[in-house]
Amino acid sequence: MGLKVEHVNKTYGTKKVVNDISFEIDKPSVYGLLGTNGAGKTTTIRMILGILKKDSGEISWNGKEVKRKNVNFGYLPEERGVYPKTKIYDQMMYFAELKGMKKEKAIESLKYWANRLEVEQYINMTPEKLSKGNQQKIQFITAIIHDPELIVLDEPFSGLDPVNTELLKNVIIELIRNGKYIIMSSHQMHSIEEFCSDVLILNKGETVLKGNLKEIKEQYNANRVSLSTIENVDKYIKELGLEIYNSKDNDYIINISGEEDGYKLINKLIENKVKVEKFEIMKPSLNDIFIEKVGEAK
Amino acid sequence: MRDLWIVASYTIKDMLKKKTFIISNLVIFLIIIVGFNVPNILNMFNEDESSENGSALLSKTLIVDEKNIFEGSLETLNTMNLGTQFEITNEEISIDDVKNKIVNGDVDDAIIINESDNKVNVEYIVENMAMMNNEVPEKVTNMLTSAYTNLQISKLGLTQEQLASLTPNFTFELQQAEEQEVKGNILVIMLLSLVLFYAIYFCAYQVSNSITTEKTSKIMETLVTSTSPRTIVLGKTIGIGVVGLLQVIAIVAVALICAYACLPEGMLSSALDLSQITPTLGILTVVYFILGYATYALLYALTGSTVSKPEDVQSANGPVAIISIIGFYLAYFTMMNPTSDLNVFASIFPFSAPFCMPFRVMMGIATPGQIAISIIVLLLTIVIVASVSIKIYSNAILNYGSRVSLKDMINMYKHGS
Repeated sequence: MGLKVEHVNKTYGTKKVVNDISFEIDKPSVYGLLGTNGAGKTTTIRMILGILKKDSGEISWNGKEVKRKNVNFGYLPEERGVYPKTKIYDQMMYFAELKGMKKEKAIESLKYWANRLEVEQYINMTPEKLSKGNQQKIQFITAIIHDPELIVLDEPFSGLDPVNTELLKNVIIELIRNGKYIIMSSHQMHSIEEFCSDVLILNKGETVLKGNLKEIKEQYNANRVSLSTIENVDKYIKELGLEIYNSKDNDYIINISGEEDGYKLINKLIENKVKVEKFEIMKPSLNDIFIEKVGEAK
Repeated sequence: MRDLWIVASYTIKDMLKKKTFIISNLVIFLIIIVGFNVPNILNMFNEDESSENGSALLSKTLIVDEKNIFEGSLETLNTMNLGTQFEITNEEISIDDVKNKIVNGDVDDAIIINESDNKVNVEYIVENMAMMNNEVPEKVTNMLTSAYTNLQISKLGLTQEQLASLTPNFTFELQQAEEQEVKGNILVIMLLSLVLFYAIYFCAYQVSNSITTEKTSKIMETLVTSTSPRTIVLGKTIGIGVVGLLQVIAIVAVALICAYACLPEGMLSSALDLSQITPTLGILTVVYFILGYATYALLYALTGSTVSKPEDVQSANGPVAIISIIGFYLAYFTMMNPTSDLNVFASIFPFSAPFCMPFRVMMGIATPGQIAISIIVLLLTIVIVASVSIKIYSNAILNYGSRVSLKDMINMYKHGS
């Protein structure tokens, strides 16, 4: 059960845009596809969905070649698009019917998702009258209205305000609970960290990092301390030879080369009777790992 | 097949709901209704005048024969049914007064007859000389010459027989050397060909517009993951074609109803040989509309898919527009000589056949063999154009940014999925 991508390649002219990419999603979860602009994420997604021909390699869903008729998939493209002058209800029904839904079932599903994403008051309007965020929610519904097994979300949070981002996050959690396989591409690392158990980082078509996010992080030593104090502690930090990465109103982020540095720092603060509000030894964030990996590759 | 119907029916519904579509059709209907009522409207305005002066449609000519050179014989002109009403006077009227009468619209033109040194001078005064070629029209010179000759002959005191022998008794008849007989008024048929061309052209153009709209609104990716590119192209072409055909049928129906209901009697049959308008012609015209539309619509699907910005549509569609104009003029100009080989070629050449063959059928000069060949050629063309268009469309639709070049298109066709 699941999606298998094996040794897939794609070349445009002489430019290799995807080089030997492989990964697998074997349980309902969110798989993170990361990369800089032009890294080959969208090309990979298009090949998975079968709208772009791969040069070589295998892509299969439950052992079958990925084709429109073999896989029931939903897709939220990075390029947001709706028919601006067509009633939302009409265009949603159009796509639902194209994906093989019966009218009654499509209406039921549309009602559910419109209510869930808080856009039901707009379904008899044309999208040109809606805000960008609401248009995006409409398109999100188009991607999932037919209850697909495999869902591909290309930058689902871009352009959403915090309230709507939270709403969409809850919907994605609901989809995972309902057994959906989701591929998500995003530039927003914290949202990937929040959802994805597995990630793949692409740079210029090459896989620079791949695997379980937790396992990847475990390979890294602690690299920062987050510290909040009542008074200024610059001098103690400098005495230990540590570097301040960022500080503001006695809130510090300090670079360390291992957990030992962190313990030394907290001991020093206790010795000097400094009142500490917060102290945390941190492992590198996905953002740090991403920048390091992509930087290395460059 | 199910998807094809879904795409087609969505396209139809979407088009019919558009305000621009509804308004433009209402405007067309209004123009047709008003157009066919022009003679009636003119009559209405002239009704008062016509009750005083007989028929409103007759023009009015003033003849001033001050010296009575024609000895009153000019009155007979009014009995000769020349399409003009003559007002004849022997009073002296200055040339300026005559000109004023014309400018004021009391009369349309005037003839002033005078004599000096035993020579009769005739001045013909019109409102504007621009259309006169600097010559007094033959109609006027013949009319006066013959009236004067008749007057002089009558003075000779000839017998009835002698008079009769002087009057020519000719019958004139027009014949052609070629065997094929062309029925109907060529000018009217050329006009109908123009109408059919515009109907096909504008319907086909909509396909390009519709595809570019989908690209510019970035909905294409959602669409191609919902159904195959082939279904999209064909469904769209069918949908727009159905709407276009219904539109053309509605326009023709309104025009025919207006023609029968509003035009003065005889005007329609003088323009068209009504016996040639048969159900077969109707069916063939519909067939050629569909085939012509499909050819051009699929070409437009190709060009429409190569652009992603609305401002590029015009230039991308240029080549198709040129092909269609060449096709149309080939049909249009060879129709002036409908029995020529070139017109036969135009009725078979796929890009001109839709604008040519229905009218050859109407003129009664197309053979069943020619019709069959032309339909087969068109069908083959459609299959070829469709396969190329769908292949390029499938590859070009996800191309955003710059326009797809001809080289890219050839690559897409060669390596396309």
